[in-house]
Amino acid sequence: MPAATAAGGHPADHAAAPLLRLIDIDKSFPGVHALRSVSLDIHAGEVHVILGQNGAGKSTLIKTLYGAHAADKGHIEVEGRRVAVARPADASALGIAVIFQEFSLVPYLDIAQNIYLGREAAFARFGLIDSAAMHAAARTILDDLGLDYDTHAYAADLGVAQQQMVEIAKALSQNARVLVMDEPTAAISEREAERLFATIARLTQKNVAIVYISHRMKEVQMLGDRITILRDGAVVTSVLRDEMSQTEMVGAMIGRPSGSQLARTPRAPGDPILFARGISTAKLSDISIEIRAGEVVGLAGLVGSGRTEVVRALFGADPITGGEIALSGSRAPTTLDARVRAGMALLPEDRKREGLALPLDIRDNATVASLWRRFTSGWFSPAAAERDTRGLIAQLGIAAHGTHQTVRTLSGGNQQKVVLAKWLAAGSRLFLLDEPTRGVDVGAKAEIYRLIDQLVDGGAGVVVISSELPELVQLCDRAYVMRDHRIVGHLDDDALTERAILELVVHQ
Amino acid sequence: MTAPTQSQQRPGAGQFFSAIPGAGILLILMLALFTIANPRFVSQTNLVNVGLQASLLLMIALPMTLIILTEGLDLSAGALLGLSGVIVAEALLAGWSVFAACAMAFAISTAFGALNGVLIAYLTLPAFVVTLGTMGLMQGIALVMTNGDPVGGFTPAIETFYRSQLWIFPMPIVVAVALYAALWLLLYRTRLGNYVIAIGGNKDALRLAGIRANLVHLAVYVLGSAIVGLSAVLLIGRTNSAHPTVGIGMEFEAIAAVVLGGTSFEKGQGWLFGAVLGALAITVLRNGLNILSVDSSLQVVCIGILLILALLIDRARKHYSR
Repeated sequence: MPAATAAGGHPADHAAAPLLRLIDIDKSFPGVHALRSVSLDIHAGEVHVILGQNGAGKSTLIKTLYGAHAADKGHIEVEGRRVAVARPADASALGIAVIFQEFSLVPYLDIAQNIYLGREAAFARFGLIDSAAMHAAARTILDDLGLDYDTHAYAADLGVAQQQMVEIAKALSQNARVLVMDEPTAAISEREAERLFATIARLTQKNVAIVYISHRMKEVQMLGDRITILRDGAVVTSVLRDEMSQTEMVGAMIGRPSGSQLARTPRAPGDPILFARGISTAKLSDISIEIRAGEVVGLAGLVGSGRTEVVRALFGADPITGGEIALSGSRAPTTLDARVRAGMALLPEDRKREGLALPLDIRDNATVASLWRRFTSGWFSPAAAERDTRGLIAQLGIAAHGTHQTVRTLSGGNQQKVVLAKWLAAGSRLFLLDEPTRGVDVGAKAEIYRLIDQLVDGGAGVVVISSELPELVQLCDRAYVMRDHRIVGHLDDDALTERAILELVVHQ
Repeated sequence: MTAPTQSQQRPGAGQFFSAIPGAGILLILMLALFTIANPRFVSQTNLVNVGLQASLLLMIALPMTLIILTEGLDLSAGALLGLSGVIVAEALLAGWSVFAACAMAFAISTAFGALNGVLIAYLTLPAFVVTLGTMGLMQGIALVMTNGDPVGGFTPAIETFYRSQLWIFPMPIVVAVALYAALWLLLYRTRLGNYVIAIGGNKDALRLAGIRANLVHLAVYVLGSAIVGLSAVLLIGRTNSAHPTVGIGMEFEAIAAVVLGGTSFEKGQGWLFGAVLGALAITVLRNGLNILSVDSSLQVVCIGILLILALLIDRARKHYSR
C-alpha cells in the first residue's frame, strides 16, 4: 500500500504540461489496424496504467513509443517539443526506457557490466575499464533502489525478478524519465511483485513517469494514478483511478455487449476420452479436466496463466509431478510417442517452430506423424504418401500448388491446416489446439472453425485455447478458466459468456 | 597464481573449490598418477618440455577462447599456423628481413581473419562451415607454395629466439604467459572484452546498447588470426624449418583444450584461464603416456576420453550446485 499512497501524491502535477504526449498515433500491419489514432498524456511522477486484453494494441503502442515501429500517422512530444523517435537509441536519448518481458541482459556479464553495457567509456582509464569505479557506480544505483545485490553476480545467476530490477537500474543509470514496464509481474512471485511496487513508489517520488502495462485489476487499483483502457487498437477511455469502478473497467476492456454473441448449437457429447485429475507440473498445480467425445472444451485465461502448460502436460510434452491422466477409461501411457499412438494430437501455439518443419514440403509435414501406422513394414512408399497427401489437401481444402510446395511459402491458415492434416493422418481422436486461429486471416479462421466442427461431429474431442473471448464463447460447449497456473472456474451453457470469463480472469 | 584472480572473475560459482573445473581436477589426478607411475615425469627436463608443448597449444587455444565466447569456432586456425610459417620461411629465403617477413605473415593472417569475420559476422554464415572452407583454402595455398615439402635453410635468428631464455624461463613459455596476460586484460578490463562476451550472450542487447556489434564480432576473428599468424613464427623456430602441414589437427586440440577448461559453446559462458587448464591437461596426458610408452593412436583415444570425462564432471557439478 505504500505504493498507492506515494504514487497518488502528485495531483498537482496533472495541471502541469505532460512530460510525454502521444498524439493521434496510427499504425497498421498487413491485415491488422493495430493502433487507431491513439493519444496519451504521461505526466512526471505518475503511474499511468494501460489496460487492455491481448491484442488490444498494448505491445504495438510500446514498440512505437520506443522507436521499434514507425507510426503511420501521428507524433510524439516531450515537454511540449515535437520529437522524432525512429530508433531505440532516439528513445533512450529522450529518457524513455522500456523493460520488456524478455530481458536484454547478457548472461555472462556481471550486474555492473550489464548496467553500463555500451557506456563503459565513462569508466575508462588509460584504455582499460576502471572496474572498481564501475562497480561503485553500479552500487550507488542499486542502493538508490534499495537493492543489496552483489554487483559482481552474473546476470545468468539472477532470478527473473532480480533481472527485472537490474533492467530498471540500467534504465535509471541512463537517466530515464519515462519508464515503460510491459506486464512486469507476469513472471514473478507475489513477494517479488511487492518489492517491485515499492520500487515504483520510489521512482515516482523522484518524478519518474511510469507507464505500466497490465491486465491485473488488483495492480491497476493499487498503482494506477491514471488508467487508459485500450480496445481493438483504440483508446476507450482515460480516467483517474477513482473515476471508474473495477466492473466498469472490465466492461470497457471487453466492450461488446454480451448479448451480441452468436447462438451455439448445443452438442450431445459422448463418453469421456480424457480425464485428468490433480495434475501438477513444474508450472501447474492441481489441474483437473475432463474431455468427452464430440465436444469442444475451451481453456480460457491470459497469456502466461498456464493454458499452454496444461495441454503440454496432457500431451506428455512436459513431465508431470503429480496427478493422474486417464485415456478412454484406462491409465494414459506416460511417454509422448505412446500418447500420440493412443490418439492424442497437439497443435502447438508456435506452429512455425513446434508444429511444422518449414523448409520441408506439405507431404513430408503431413505424413510425418503417421508413418508408423501407414508403413508398418518399415519401407516407405513415396507413391502412397503422395496419394495420402493429395487426399488430405482435398479434405482440408489446403490452397497449394501441390504436395511438394514447401510449407514456409504457405499462408498462416494453410500452414495451420497442414498441422491438422498431420494429426488427421495419424488417426487422432483428441485434439489439443493451442491458439488455432492466431495469425490467420478471417477466411481461414472460418474454415478452421468448420474443421473443428467436422472433428467433433466425427466423434473426436477438442480442446481449444484462445485469447479471443468471442471465439471461445462461440466455438466451445464449455470452458475452463485459468489464472495463475490454476483452474479457477468452469463455465458451460448460458454461463459461458465473455463477461463471465473475464470476471474470472481478473477476479482477485 | 592466476587461479585465485580468475575465481574472483566467477563470483556466481561460489567458493574457490567448486570453481575448479573438471579439467583442473583431472589435471591434478593425472599429475599424481604419472608421477607415481614413473618419477621421470617430474624431472626438470620433462616439466620444461610439458611447458613448451603447452605454450604452443595455448597460442591457438587462447584466441580460440575468445572466438568460442562469441558462439563461434575457428577450424582454420591450424591451417593458418602452417601457411603463415611457410610464408615467413619463404620471405626469409627471398632475403627479407625478419621484421618484414613477420609483417607479411601478420598482414596475410589478418586478411584471412577478416575474411572469416566478414562472412560470419556480417553475412551471418555459420562459423563451422566458413572456417572449414577457409581451412581448405589456406591448407591448399601452403601446399602449393611448398609442394608439400618443409622449407628450411633460412636465417637461424628465429631458432635462436625460440631457444633463448628470459632469466630461467624458455622464450615460448614467456610468450605464452605474456599472451595470456594481454588477452586477460583485453577480456576482463576493456570494453572490447565485455562486447566479446555480449556477442555470445545477447548480440541484440549489444546492438541496442548502441554498439556496432558486427564490427566487434569481426574484430574477434581478425585478432584471433593475427595471434595465430604470429605464433607461427615461433613455431618454425622449433625445428628451424616450416612445415606446411604442421598445424593440421591443432585446431581440434585447441578447441578441445578450451572446452575442457569449462568454456561453453553457448551464451558467452566461459573463462580464459580454462584454456590454460585444458591445454595443460592435454599436454600432460600426451607427455605422460609418451613416458609410459603408450602407442600414439591409443593417446588419441585417451584424449577423447579425457574430454568426455571433463564434460561429465562439469555437468555433474552444475547439477549438484542447483
